[in-house]
Amino acid sequence: MVIERILIFLLALVGFSAIVGAKNIIKKVFGLNLLNSAIVLLYILEGSRIGEQAPILGEGVTNIVDPVPQALMLTAIVIGVCVTALALALAVRLYKATGSLEIDTISARLHSEQ
Amino acid sequence: MKRTWFIFKVIFILLVVTLAMLPVILSSHPWPVASRDYLYENALSDTGAVNTVSSIYLGYRAMDTLGETLVLLVSITGTMGILINLGRESEEEEAVSFSLAPEKRATNAQRTHLLEVVASKLGPVVLLFGFYVMLYGHISPGGGFQGGVIVASAIVFLALGTETQSKLTNTTVLGRIETLSFLVLIIVATSGVFFERGFFGNPIKSGSSLSVNFIILLNIIIGLKVGTSIAVMCIAMMGGRHGH
Repeated sequence: MVIERILIFLLALVGFSAIVGAKNIIKKVFGLNLLNSAIVLLYILEGSRIGEQAPILGEGVTNIVDPVPQALMLTAIVIGVCVTALALALAVRLYKATGSLEIDTISARLHSEQ
Repeated sequence: MKRTWFIFKVIFILLVVTLAMLPVILSSHPWPVASRDYLYENALSDTGAVNTVSSIYLGYRAMDTLGETLVLLVSITGTMGILINLGRESEEEEAVSFSLAPEKRATNAQRTHLLEVVASKLGPVVLLFGFYVMLYGHISPGGGFQGGVIVASAIVFLALGTETQSKLTNTTVLGRIETLSFLVLIIVATSGVFFERGFFGNPIKSGSSLSVNFIILLNIIIGLKVGTSIAVMCIAMMGGRHGH
């Protein structure tokens, strides 16, 4: 159980390092998505610790996993899509205004225009 | 010098995050089983849905689902507000290979034959699968949000693949379907009040075999809402015409 959590933590760390370290706006948005996926995976993994079968109450289904984190993560995925869409729209707008997606170039061009 | 300082800062921030998250990762606290046991006993008789995840997000906490669709609506509105003036401001032509057919967008762009052949054949099949996932969300993995996203990708396939204008890929028609389904969602949500069930209460709960129909109805409405809104957003991002 620990090895899965360490892998998920590494995925989250990759996403966070992309948000902090990458200079490209698109890479930052990708990092945000990776972080979101890591959190979703962590919740699903933690909820599946107490059972084995999918939470669909058919015939002979006894040992189900916890459905509450799955329903919570449905919300998280939708919010992630919304955040990604807004961030990408803002990136398109910045690209049209300054002609670049690198944050250093964008800030230099915005300062030179003033 | 500036570069090494930047890398040092990034590594320092990552170390701080690692120290903050390590207790979460390494904790061996047992996961509580109370909610799982309650749902296993009562979810089927309370809401009628075999899929417990469906019975949570459309039965027990349907109010939160309304908030979720509101967040989606606000995000679509913001994205369209940011993107909608873009075509009028810049007139330059861009060369991108994944793009809409010429008569559907404001600026000129290249298209590949591979895209047309694959996307137009795949579109109807994906559309059917999306409606399957949407309609059978109460007894199998799936539901309104998941089916809606598949429907949206089918509409994007159809918009990419076909040369002709059709009602299904027209952003005005899709936007009207979105607004109408949100209105129907509000009406359906308030309908429980008149049957003494409360806001988002199931008005046909008394008939035990019929009570799941409320969840199917909510799944269809949310699927249409999510599918059309994400399709509108994707078509707008690919440079589709809007506003007429």
